Amino acid sequence: MSNLIPVHPLEKRWIYVVLGVIALFLGAIFYTALVHQVHPPGAIETIDSATLHLGGEFAEDKLGVRTDADGHLRATLVAARYGFYPREIRVPEGLPITFRIASADVLHGMHVPMTNLDTMVVPGYVSTVTTTFPKPGEYPMLCNEYCGMGHDHMWSKVIVVSRESWKAAAPQTGR
Amino acid sequence: MKKACLCGLLLVAFGGPVVAEPSSKVAWTLETLALVKNGDREKGRQIAETCAACHASGPQPAGTTFPDLQGQLATYLYKQLRDYKDGTRASEIMAPITASLSDKDMADVAAWYSAQPAQAGAKAETVSETAERLVERGDGRRILPSCNACHESDGRGQTIDVPALAGQNPAYTEQTLLDYKSGARHNDIYGRMRTIARELGDEDIRQLARYYAGLKR
Repeated sequence: MSNLIPVHPLEKRWIYVVLGVIALFLGAIFYTALVHQVHPPGAIETIDSATLHLGGEFAEDKLGVRTDADGHLRATLVAARYGFYPREIRVPEGLPITFRIASADVLHGMHVPMTNLDTMVVPGYVSTVTTTFPKPGEYPMLCNEYCGMGHDHMWSKVIVVSRESWKAAAPQTGR
Repeated sequence: MKKACLCGLLLVAFGGPVVAEPSSKVAWTLETLALVKNGDREKGRQIAETCAACHASGPQPAGTTFPDLQGQLATYLYKQLRDYKDGTRASEIMAPITASLSDKDMADVAAWYSAQPAQAGAKAETVSETAERLVERGDGRRILPSCNACHESDGRGQTIDVPALAGQNPAYTEQTLLDYKSGARHNDIYGRMRTIARELGDEDIRQLARYYAGLKR
């Protein structure tokens, strides 16, 4: 084949580099998927964005962080132009917490810098992400999908508290 | 008895059977949008004859907090009427008036008022810099998006139910923002306007009301 189409040695070298990069990326994807269990969201769950507030999981009084009956932490949020509601949540460091978030209007993104919490919030769908916050502190929760003129002001606060002070403030249980 | 009391307390504390009402029962489903879109202006005009005592066209007498409705978004007007009727927006005046209106009546009235020419605002002689900054740029430190982001740069409002503010009676705008701030008005879904108003000082509110009163749509 190489006799039919002459390939310049420099070009050949670049082909190897590109193949190497592709192999590296694929390797990273397989490694994180197989070893660290990082997967794209599997279950597709739909919801009516227009009636979110009328009742059910995303009703106004159901939002926030609570502990389920089995002891698992769950944060229920709504993204709407221009903020995440509730505007401030407290979560513990080092404990797995599942975020459930829906959009009340247009496409949003939920991103907490310096953590791996990052998901698109597509109107009509519920986004579910489980994560663990490694370090206590105050973090912004930002919208990273352009959603309109106030997009750059769309952020809320996530306060990660140490496990000790989380236990001390236990009454959040059962909400 | 003690046990019953304790159970009751626990239920209240953990939100058992006490179900909070949504801040508004209006949902912008396709049916509701179609209902408002197809509002009959002529029928609306007839119903609106009762409204003219407080919501006539022309500038409001100084001091009254009745809003100008001419040229307002039909969807916004419809939502407010429904909220008055449902009790999610409290008003001793509007609750009995809306009690006898059907959803269709409300869509008709909304269609009539939204088709009327808006009040020509009288430009305020001096526009406060604070108000202008809030309107155009918001305030990052208070997590305040600019007013323009939702109410548009000319204050004409935005779909679906972000009200037009340009030319609005300043006494009404001021009172409304104060009510959002105190929580007396709470028919904004997910408390979006309450969250914003809580960050505003009373002087900011007064200046913003003056600013919007002076805008022409």
